[in-house]
Amino acid sequence: MKSIFLSSALIALLALSGCSTKEPAIDTTDDSAKMAATDTLTETIPEDVMTVDADGFSGADSNEMTMSGIERKMQSVTFDFDRFEIRPDMQENVEGNIKLVNSDAQDYTIKLEGNCDEWGSDEYNYALGLKRANSVKTEMIQSGVDAGRITMVSYGESNPVCTDKTDACWSENRRVDFKLLP
Amino acid sequence: MRILLVLLFSLTLLFSADATIEVTKRVDGLSSMAVEDASVDYKDGLSKRFFKALVGDLNVLSLFNVKDEYTTTYFDDDNVDRSNKKSDYVLRYSLEKDDSGVFIVHAKMLSDDSTVFSKKYRLRNSEQYIFIVHAIAYDVNAYMGADPVDWMKRKVILTRLVAPQKSEILLTDYTLSYQRVIIRGGLNVFPKWADKKQSSFYFTDLDGRIPTLYKMDIYTGKSEKITSSDGMLICSDVRQDGKKLLLTMAPNGQPDIYLYDIENKKRQRLTKYGGIDVNAQFMSDDRITFVSNRLGYPNVFAKKIGSKAVEQMVYYGKSNAACSAHGDLIVYKARESANAFSRNTFNLHLISTKTDFIRRLTATGVNEFPRFSKDGDAILFIKSYKQQSSIGVVRLKHNKNFLFPLKIGKIQSMDW
Repeated sequence: MKSIFLSSALIALLALSGCSTKEPAIDTTDDSAKMAATDTLTETIPEDVMTVDADGFSGADSNEMTMSGIERKMQSVTFDFDRFEIRPDMQENVEGNIKLVNSDAQDYTIKLEGNCDEWGSDEYNYALGLKRANSVKTEMIQSGVDAGRITMVSYGESNPVCTDKTDACWSENRRVDFKLLP
Repeated sequence: MRILLVLLFSLTLLFSADATIEVTKRVDGLSSMAVEDASVDYKDGLSKRFFKALVGDLNVLSLFNVKDEYTTTYFDDDNVDRSNKKSDYVLRYSLEKDDSGVFIVHAKMLSDDSTVFSKKYRLRNSEQYIFIVHAIAYDVNAYMGADPVDWMKRKVILTRLVAPQKSEILLTDYTLSYQRVIIRGGLNVFPKWADKKQSSFYFTDLDGRIPTLYKMDIYTGKSEKITSSDGMLICSDVRQDGKKLLLTMAPNGQPDIYLYDIENKKRQRLTKYGGIDVNAQFMSDDRITFVSNRLGYPNVFAKKIGSKAVEQMVYYGKSNAACSAHGDLIVYKARESANAFSRNTFNLHLISTKTDFIRRLTATGVNEFPRFSKDGDAILFIKSYKQQSSIGVVRLKHNKNFLFPLKIGKIQSMDW
């Protein structure tokens, strides 16, 4: 998908790039009698920068509908602030998801999506989301799921399910979601 | 007016070799400056926006007490406006459009009714007038013999979150006055300039099967895949020569720091701690600073590339989750309060590796993602306060902070 987007973007850019001059500049001329040397300032201005659209792929086939049906049955696993250990009260969710992984979802790759609350947009927050996903992955492997079926990604704070400014909302966002890949 | 100068902490700082030390002096020691609009064209509002932006930039220079009263005059008038007679300096500008539609700005600075500086600026597109404003301020600063402010003219690239899992990468200036979307849609985060010319940048694409690092040329739109990693992949820093990258990668689910060679595409793992190691920054070609939770909480450490020894750099704050280095100076983000969800939680602090001084740079809101300018004169950071996301600028030697709010979306990360 990415390659299609890049290819189409490149073609569009090549087509458009001939229409304009790249790297426009601020031309400056020193016309002060007191300044002997002409100071020519060349400023690169992003005038002809192109906008690339990373979207544009939509629609769902029957396989995707089946996948989303299974995904809806899977429960998110939530975590304490700044922690990545699975809480005892979340064990039931993890085990329930593992059963689905080994039954309805046995033909799919499992994508574990780690997420954080809004307190921080830095790399540490993304790493925290990843460590949460990795805690779930470790438990899945210990339960017999093939490690080769599991991929992970951390979205940090960029994928909230709740945007209220409350403890409950922040708690909801500190989570790992289970998604399926063909 | 797009630019909103919100905060001036205290007023001045005596120039000092150690930027962590604050010494104040009286503001009335500054020269006075007035700005006059002598525009022939663009009187539909651009000339006034230009005035406000120029006053804003002159304030950021921190060299003058700048009058913000709008006055008009003729460009070639030998005398300054009567209301500006007492000003030590008067900066006069004229916006014009030539026969071919080119945007032209004449600018001159007067002192004692004599022209001491004069320059003509040309640009094909008046929408980008802010870059001429920055160029004028840069030239005024140079004329005054102050420390260079090259950072003022640099382009800023940032990721704006517009919806869950949706972002835009914007090209802008440090005041966010000019904004151009480079990548729309998808979830693309952590843009990082790839070269000194700012013609290309790295970014992480989180839409694919696994996180992938791309490099994109901003003028052609052409992207090339650099590498990918399960879990997370971020370009934390680019070496000055652009040939090596510091990456946070997690090929085995374990976030560690890697040195990536652009030419031979080989990577070298620099940290092997079982917890979290992220946010590496070059202190020099063979020494890095980074954030790790190896003490049980995030803190700032340093190590020599190739050595196993790790040195703790910060001894204040119980959650120091982000940092930026410039030579011996390190700026870091610290959670101030014990309560994770209290207000006024995250502030930026500056330390020198050669002294024990700590200087707090911010006072309110959530302040994070600090980034030193290339010359160390200023620090750019992201501030979130009352649901407003802003770019902040700290002038270290002048002890002043300035904020420029983003109207739509939340700033996720940026580089300049």
